[in-house]
Amino acid sequence: MRDQQREKVIQSVTWGLGGIFVLLGFGLMAMVLVGAWPTLAEPHALARLLSPTWDPMRDQWGLLPFLLGTAVVTCLALAIVVPLALATGISISRMLPWSLRPQAVRLLAALTAIPSVVFGWWGLETVVPAVRILGGQAGFSLLAAAIVLALMLWPTLGFLFAEALMKVPRSYVEASAALGASDDQTLVRILIPSAWPQLMNAFLVAVARGLGETVAVQMVIGGQVAMPAGLLSPGATLTTQLLTDATLFPPGTRGHAALDAMALALLAAMGLLVRLSARWQGQP
Amino acid sequence: MAPTIRTEHLSVSYHRTPVLHQISLEAAGGEVLALIGPSGCGKSTFLRALNRLVEETPGARVEGRVYLGNMNIYAPSVDVTQLRRRVGMVFQAPNPFPFSIFDNVAYGPRLHGVTDAGELRRIVERSLQEAALWDEVRGKLRRPALTLSGGQQQRLCIARALAVDPEVLLLDEPTAALDPLSTEKIEELIANLRGRYTIVMVTHNLRQAARISDRTAFFAEGRLVEVGWTRQMFTAPQDPRTEQYLTGRYQP
Ligand SMILES: Nc1ncnc2c1ncn2[C@@H]1O[C@H](COP(=O)(O)OP(=O)(O)OP(=O)(O)O)[C@@H](O)[C@H]1O
Ligand SMILES: [Mg+2]
Repeated sequence: MRDQQREKVIQSVTWGLGGIFVLLGFGLMAMVLVGAWPTLAEPHALARLLSPTWDPMRDQWGLLPFLLGTAVVTCLALAIVVPLALATGISISRMLPWSLRPQAVRLLAALTAIPSVVFGWWGLETVVPAVRILGGQAGFSLLAAAIVLALMLWPTLGFLFAEALMKVPRSYVEASAALGASDDQTLVRILIPSAWPQLMNAFLVAVARGLGETVAVQMVIGGQVAMPAGLLSPGATLTTQLLTDATLFPPGTRGHAALDAMALALLAAMGLLVRLSARWQGQP
Repeated sequence: MAPTIRTEHLSVSYHRTPVLHQISLEAAGGEVLALIGPSGCGKSTFLRALNRLVEETPGARVEGRVYLGNMNIYAPSVDVTQLRRRVGMVFQAPNPFPFSIFDNVAYGPRLHGVTDAGELRRIVERSLQEAALWDEVRGKLRRPALTLSGGQQQRLCIARALAVDPEVLLLDEPTAALDPLSTEKIEELIANLRGRYTIVMVTHNLRQAARISDRTAFFAEGRLVEVGWTRQMFTAPQDPRTEQYLTGRYQP
């Protein structure tokens, strides 16, 4: 009897917490959507939001520089980090002596906990000057941001890749070896294909972290709101611009609505990622 | 003609703990040799030393020699991938890859450079026929292998091993996870493969050993206790330990 009551209490608490969680999520989305509504409801909303000019003094609220900045920095960072992380994951899960593997995984896990501001600080001290010397411009740039972001994502993605590869059943690896496969053949033909869903998910986690990273990028990207002229020119991303302008435009102003539109764009991108990851997991 | 496979003073240890002591044993070309013995006595380890798969186990160390025909397979000049092509293996639990039936059987030939679609199809069909699975899967070769029943999966694993044209087959309790009907099918299959392949088979099923093997070797505590013609061994074992094991009274 008492047990049953206790179970009931636990159940209602669980439901209650779950409900709060869902409400919070939807509440957040609704808030952003309502906040962004002024920009979405006006005529030619899309054209104005996608215009290349962000100039609050002239009432120009084009988000294109930031959309582009986010896309370029994230894609470039991923292009740098995916091969590095794959190499890390393969070395840890396949090449390192067995006795060292757990330690290596723990080390990577520890590295994932470094706060991003540390990466930003370090980028400011080394990456920015390096880009300045090599590129001959200010150094604060999309390229510097992408490099810092890539280095920041490296431990996380390497850790997730290693975990994914180590989860492949040993029986597959042995069956492959018993058929005369070399280690490389087993890697390419068995390990990567059978770990594919987990590898893809790890990749999407990295994309999400890349899209959302703010502080480390802000410290090295230069914060320029004009359209970037190239990888070496300074720029801004959706997140860094949100951070810069968050205190500038009080609620109710046109600028505040534009910031809400940026947040909405980020949420939409995240939603898309979640959909993609569900598809890669084989769910509808 | 299938080659003999022979060990000379083969010893294996894991992390310096010896598990096999000085085993000298031969499977003659084309015969079925059954390995029996209590759990943990080193039968699987012995089998895995015959295709050098034991080297994939962390901490494993092998001493002594193993000859396939007259080649010492542990000689430094031996190409392990070539060796494993000649010495196929089927594991205790069916372990098809998470691919289609076709891709499972074609895996080995593709590894070794067969790319021609027609030839692959011929190899796959022949191997599945040899493994007595063809009639059940023809027309369904694109289905995932994991949708097959356990018994079918094990025959698929046999087909996968046969597809690379091995000369020796190592079977580690191939029917341990199967129902009686599937077991019967696999026993029939082994009887049919006899003569064309040299077969070394671990089994806990003494009747199975009696039914399908030419000779039987009894292992206990990492040592070879006795080896002889199956019929003789099952009716008149030489060693008291063998007799105890065969009558279910063995105490280590
Ligand atoms: N990877 C390993 N690392 C350390 N010890 C091992 C390993 N594999 C097996 N052993 C040990 O080696 C001994 C022999 O094991 P093996 O698997 O060869 O026995 P088996 O005769 O096949 O047993 P079973 O009939 O239960 O399959 C056992 O004592 C086992 O604990
Ligand atoms: Mg065993």
